[in-house]
Amino acid sequence: MISVLEYLRPEKLDDALHIMGGGEHTPAAGGTDLVLQLRDGRPRKILDLERLGLDFIRNAGDIIEIGSLVTHAAIASNPLIAKSLPVLSRASSLVGSLQIRNRGTVGGNIVNASPCADTVPALLLYDAELVLKSSGGTRTVPLSQFVLGPYRTSLGPGEILHSIICRKAEVSTGWSYIKLGRRQAVNISRMTLATSIFMNGDGKIGSVRISAGSVFPTPSRIPRIERMLVGRTPSQELYRQAANIAADMMIKESGHRWSTPYKKPVLINLLTRALTEAQSKLIAGMVS
Amino acid sequence: MVTTDVAVKFTLNGIPMERDVPPNWTLLRFLRDGLGFTGTKCGCEIGECGACTVIFNGEAVNACLVLAPQIDGASIWTIEGVASSGRKLHPIQQAFVECDAVHCGFCSPGMVMSTVALLLHNRIPSNAVLKESLAGNLCRCTGYLQIIEAVRKAAESMDDMHLEKFRR
Ligand SMILES: Cc1cc2nc3c(=O)[nH]c(=O)nc-3n(C[C@H](O)[C@H](O)[C@H](O)COP(=O)(O)OP(=O)(O)OC[C@H]3O[C@@H](n4cnc5c(N)ncnc54)[C@H](O)[C@@H]3O)c2cc1C
Repeated sequence: MISVLEYLRPEKLDDALHIMGGGEHTPAAGGTDLVLQLRDGRPRKILDLERLGLDFIRNAGDIIEIGSLVTHAAIASNPLIAKSLPVLSRASSLVGSLQIRNRGTVGGNIVNASPCADTVPALLLYDAELVLKSSGGTRTVPLSQFVLGPYRTSLGPGEILHSIICRKAEVSTGWSYIKLGRRQAVNISRMTLATSIFMNGDGKIGSVRISAGSVFPTPSRIPRIERMLVGRTPSQELYRQAANIAADMMIKESGHRWSTPYKKPVLINLLTRALTEAQSKLIAGMVS
Repeated sequence: MVTTDVAVKFTLNGIPMERDVPPNWTLLRFLRDGLGFTGTKCGCEIGECGACTVIFNGEAVNACLVLAPQIDGASIWTIEGVASSGRKLHPIQQAFVECDAVHCGFCSPGMVMSTVALLLHNRIPSNAVLKESLAGNLCRCTGYLQIIEAVRKAAESMDDMHLEKFRR
């Protein structure tokens, strides 16, 4: 049974923040996670964020600011995002079904903080920062520090996620986004890898970014591997070597679990594949 | 526990309406129990089966995941509004009949609504786009081949005017 005591849909951000300040309301965006959570029957008061004008995508120099209420469908069909944040574009296009993408928002995906949230590993590649607002003011937090664990974030009481600021990818960056699941469509991810590679003129790796979902306790970049790859000549052996180190890091940080005998070889193979795919996009000139 | 109903204005199948809806109802429940529009089916109620697909401001959504108060200001189309009037089927429905795309029929309203939404945005969908657009609709009779054939037939044979009303 759903128990909703009150439903409010303010039209001004200040009004919404004031209501949130009372500490009694649960914010609603697209509802694709929330409506299922409401079925636990715990009585709640709902504050709908839909009319606050948070569905914007702003292009400003080397950053793009995305309002928290932008849907996955809108992200996946936006040409600017396809060009400058290609991994996010891909990640959003793989969320659930069309019905889910038409309602589900990027903000809801982040705040819900499921380990399988598709946009989080993608946004980590672009050094995403979150703009959080409350009646007390605004603060900015790196996404890498926002997610504390499965379904746990550092969102404060009375706070809402206003927008997400992403650093654009360098032009001519190769990338990959791999979502491991049991089926192709409406697929909840078991493991997610996002990578981007930039090559120097001398054929060596100029910069590389790797992030992973459902590998470490929280979705995160793998800076140790990133550093190790810079300046090296790309090869299958190099990528496999890097992937092996990532697998050891996974076991060290997440512990030896019942799933480890499965996850370890899978991570090694997928990360090798992810890096190869990113690099082959560069070579094929398929850089979008 | 006291809850206050929420006043909403919306358009259903082209007809403007005003109602007071309980805040703890989903759009699915409101359609079926509040308005008696039982064409929209209640399947999984967790957004996975697509039996409750309706068109919400021109896009396919799962009615089980929309709160009833969220329809304020929206235009909604359900299976009841697809055929124009009387007994004549809409060309999409006709194509489903002709291609044997209806088995037990439970998924059909959702399949038809997803087809409407697809063709509203893409009049000549590629096979990949077509399948992707129906990926959120399950057919437990597994009649997917006939359903895909029906969508293709409707896309090829239908006149644009049959989609016009859904844009409003
Ligand atoms: C069938 C199905 C398939 C799915 N498949 C996928 C998938 O493949 N990949 C994936 O990543 N997810 C998937 N999801 C989960 C879900 O659709 C996404 O996480 C979606 O992005 C959530 O966004 P929303 O707008 O619907 O959030 P809501 O449900 O509205 O909110 C989710 C949570 O975040 C809070 N919240 C929302 N917005 C804000 C804000 N701006 N500020 C503060 N708090 C906020 C809410 O209070 C709530 O706790 C799936 C869900 C379903 C039902």
